[in-house]
Order: sequence, then structure tokens, then C-alpha cells
Amino acid sequence: LEYLASVLLPQLLHGVVFGAALGLLALGLTVIFGLLGVMNFAHGELYMFGAYAGIAVIGLTHSFWVALIVAPLLVAAIGAITEIATLRPLYRRQPLYGLIMTFGLALAFREGARQLFGGDMRRILPPIEGSIPLLGMTYPKYRLFLLAFSSLLLFGIWLFFTRTRAGIIVRAAVQDAEMLDGLGVDVPRVFTLTFAGSAALAAVAGLLLAPVFTVYPQMGVEMILLAFIVVILGGMGSMGGSVIAAFVIGIAQSLLTLWMNPQRVAIAIFGIMIVVLIVRPRGFFGREGVLE
Amino acid sequence: LSKVTPAGGALVFAALAALPLLPWMSKYYMLLAFDALLFGAVAMSLDLLMGYAGLVSFGHAAFFGLGAYSTAVLLERGVLSIWLCLGLAAVVVGAYAFTVSYFATTRRGIYFALLTLIFAEVIYTFFRYTQTFGGSDGIQGLPAPQLWAGVAVDTPMRIYYLVVAYLLLAYLACRVLVRSHFGRVLIAIRENEDRARFLGYNVQRYKMGACLISAVLTGLAGALYPGRAAYATPDLLHWSISGEFIIMVMIGGLGTLVGPVIGGAFFILLQEKVSSYVEWYSIVVGLVLVLIVLFVPRGLLGFRQALRPHPGRGTP
Repeated sequence: LEYLASVLLPQLLHGVVFGAALGLLALGLTVIFGLLGVMNFAHGELYMFGAYAGIAVIGLTHSFWVALIVAPLLVAAIGAITEIATLRPLYRRQPLYGLIMTFGLALAFREGARQLFGGDMRRILPPIEGSIPLLGMTYPKYRLFLLAFSSLLLFGIWLFFTRTRAGIIVRAAVQDAEMLDGLGVDVPRVFTLTFAGSAALAAVAGLLLAPVFTVYPQMGVEMILLAFIVVILGGMGSMGGSVIAAFVIGIAQSLLTLWMNPQRVAIAIFGIMIVVLIVRPRGFFGREGVLE
Repeated sequence: LSKVTPAGGALVFAALAALPLLPWMSKYYMLLAFDALLFGAVAMSLDLLMGYAGLVSFGHAAFFGLGAYSTAVLLERGVLSIWLCLGLAAVVVGAYAFTVSYFATTRRGIYFALLTLIFAEVIYTFFRYTQTFGGSDGIQGLPAPQLWAGVAVDTPMRIYYLVVAYLLLAYLACRVLVRSHFGRVLIAIRENEDRARFLGYNVQRYKMGACLISAVLTGLAGALYPGRAAYATPDLLHWSISGEFIIMVMIGGLGTLVGPVIGGAFFILLQEKVSSYVEWYSIVVGLVLVLIVLFVPRGLLGFRQALRPHPGRGTP
């Protein structure tokens, strides 16, 4: 029981907290995949931008909370401009072109951040300090806030997609963009706004995780692979699947570190991924035959 | 350039062979020329897979890096023969590529790309953290390999001629291959996989063949790399390197063989030259790639349309 309370439970909770943030990151990725057919390699850099935009806003206003609102908006604007300038001309091309182009964007974004903010490790101090007793252990308050905020946001997004007209239009665009266009909806605008929204979600994830991890220009590179894994595991284009898969991966990674060193964990997760891709490439909840 | 005549090709290689005779070819320029041709050869090998079989591999860095590590491990242990290094690289890379392609070729498009990417990440993670292979530092300070006892490839000029010879042989092999029956079937699979299957071809076997040949050629190029750099590091295996290989092919033009060689050389020279003028060369390289995808998707020398436009998806 001692072991349970002092080792297993905190590690489990770490996994849940990380999974929630990962869910925000993967959700944007999977919506863009469903909508544009593009695996967005630059998504990790939008995540990184979120953290740096947060640092910049905190530097100006000395408030994490202002940054939590302003930074995603800034990154959303960058996302919208990127979509209009680079992805819009590719709508009718093979998805692989999108993959290759976003790889180029990622390269440019990463170097841009390094030039603007420098290559060294930065930290954001948690806006909520201290720990509280919880189920026989003490747990940092900030991580609980992170979990609550991410979960609320995920719930809000679910409401958006099921209860609002705009959300239903986005889902319709994922199903059949051509039909939606025929019904008189300005589909390119839907695409641009959705991309901006996905960028904002990545930025929120980046900023929320910044006080837990460190901030540096390469931070998106490792996260994007994990996010890809989550998206595939959940089923490409399936939003609910992505969120569930994010928690699964978050918890699995966190618990496995108890028994293995980090590189074995990484290899184990890659191994799971390979098996899923071979046996059931559409993941948990993906539609059959999507780009198979 | 779409049709390379034997005379034209011979002329180009004669010019490459004569390059070190130029008076301003310093040691620095010899090594730069080595890199340009080596990565040109890698891009050409990848083009065999991307441009002809229509399979985009995001894991070619693993083939290149495994080749480099094969050489590094032998050199470190005092086995200096370059032929043994190349042989080991071919065996190791071949065995790994067989495993990857066996699984990856059951999937198409993005799933193939992701499978190759994740397999390569396993290799990267393994070398990055295994202390036997030097961990994140890799294997450093290697001696020069030898052509045969007593003749070491220890000057920039010798290593340069080695890569010219390799490029020539690899190019001839690829050229024969894409014009053979095997190459024709690959193109048929790229154009319409189902039809090729209905015609009775074992599609997976052809795809695996293309993967294996492309991987081994890439691995052999990798095996030459420690001869120039005297090290092999896990950075060579990272997936961003695989991305760079794809960039080289895209710059040069899919399905042209010659194009990617030029694309690879262009990429190396661009990186080297831009980075000596501005620190933010990655921005330039990234934007060049974006502009190429946007405006010249068939590459600077792309004549054949390799990746067909994607029907259906998106807006009118």
C-alpha cells in the first residue's frame, strides 16, 4: 500500500495530466488530417510557438493568465496565415505533398524561434505554487490545474462539435467537403479557421506544459512523434479516438518508466505503434480505408 | 536531361574525375564535393523508391546511419579494409531493410511513410542510448579505411575519388534497373497498384525488392561517410535527416535519377554556402522546400509526373 500511494498513484496521475495535454495537441492534428488530408509536421512547432509566445507575453504583462489567452490567439493568427499562404494551394494535390511541405515549414519555424528567442533552455514558473494532500500523497497544485483546465477545454470542444452550427459544419467538411461546398458553405474559410483553431490548441498545450517541461526550439520535435502515434492509435481523423489514445499513451508512458529506462519505454511505444499500424492501421476508432 | 546519353554521362563523370585537378580545389572544397556527391547518391537511391515505386520512405536516415555505424564499428576494432566495411554495411542494412519492408509494404501512402519513420526511430533510440556504440556521442576519432593493405583512403582526394566511383556504379545500377522489366513493373505499381496485381504481379515482392535495393545503396553510401568524417553519430539516424533526403529528391525531381543527384548536391551546397553567410540557413532551406512544393512540385528537373494529383479531396 505504501508503494501504491507513494509511487504508483503519483505516476498514474502524472500520466493522466500529460495525457490531457497530449490530447489537446493530438486533437488539432487529427482534425486537420480529417479535413485537409495533411499530416501536419509543423504541428510540433505550433506547440513550441505557444510556449515562446507565452514567455513573450509573460515578459510584457507578468501574468501567466493573460498569456494563456493571448498566446494561443497569436499562434492561431500564425496558423491562419500559414494555411492561406501554403496549404490552400495544395488542396487538390496528393496528401504526401502536404506532408513534405509542412516538414519544410517545421524547419523554418524551428530556426525562426531559435533566432528570435535563442537556443537555450527556458522555463516558465508555475503560476500556482505548492502542493496539496490528495489520496494519501501530496501532489503539485499546478498539475491538477493543468488537468482540470485541459479536461474542461476538451469538454468545451466536444460541445462545440456537437452543439454548435459551426462545429457541425466542420464535421460535415471532414465527411464530405465537396458536398458542403455545393450547399453554399465557404469551405476554404472553414479550413482556414479550423487550422487556426488547431494551432491555438497546440499553443495551449505548449504553454500549459511549459512549467512542467523546459522550453527550447527543438521541443516540438519529440512531441510531434508522440502526437502522430496518438493520432494513428486513435484512428486518423477520429477526434474521440485521439483523446482516448492520448490518455492511453500518457498513462502507458508514465507507468512504463517505473520499470524501464526511458529509451526502452520509447522503443516499447514505437513497438506498440508498429503493431497497430500493421494489424489495424485505422486505429481504435478510425474509419476503414482512409488513405490505406 | 531527361534522356542521358552514354556520351553525355561519360563526359559528366570525366569532368567529376578531373575536378581535383583544378588549382583552387582546396581540402575544404574536396570534402564539400564529397558531401555533395555522396548525398546526391543517397537521394538517387531514395528516388528509386519514391519516384519509381511511388513509396515515400521517411526512414532512409536509418539505412544511411546503419551503414555508417557498420564502418565505424569495424574501423574502431582495427578492421580497416573498406571492402569488409562495405560488405558488413550491405548485410546489416539489407537485413534491417528486409524486416522493415516486409511489414511496411503491406501498407500504402501515409501509412508506409509512418511505418518506415517509426522503425527508423527505434534504430535511432537504440544507438542514441547504447553505450557500446558511444551513446549520444557516437563513435569518434576513427582511423582511415584502407583499399588494400598499406593503401589508406586518408586524403580528401582519395575519398573523393572513392565517392565518384561509387556514384558511377550506383547510377549505372539504378539506370539498368529502372529500364529493366523490374523497373517497368515498379512504375506500373506506382500508376495503378490494383491493376498490376490483377495482371498477376506479386506487388508486395516488387515493392520489397525496390525497398531492399534502395536501402542497400543508401547504406553503402553511409558506409563511406566515416571515411570522410572519422565519426558516426546518432544524429545521422534522426528522422529529420530522412526529411532532408526527401527534400533533396523533391528539389531534383521525382523519377528522374539524375535530378535527385543534382538535388542532393544542390541541397548540400545551399546548406554549406547559406550557412556561411547567414546563421538562419534552416529558414532558407525550409522555405526553398515550401516554394518547390508550391510552384515546381515535379522538382527542378522533373519531367515525368510521378505523384499524380490527388483526386476528390478538398474544394473545387
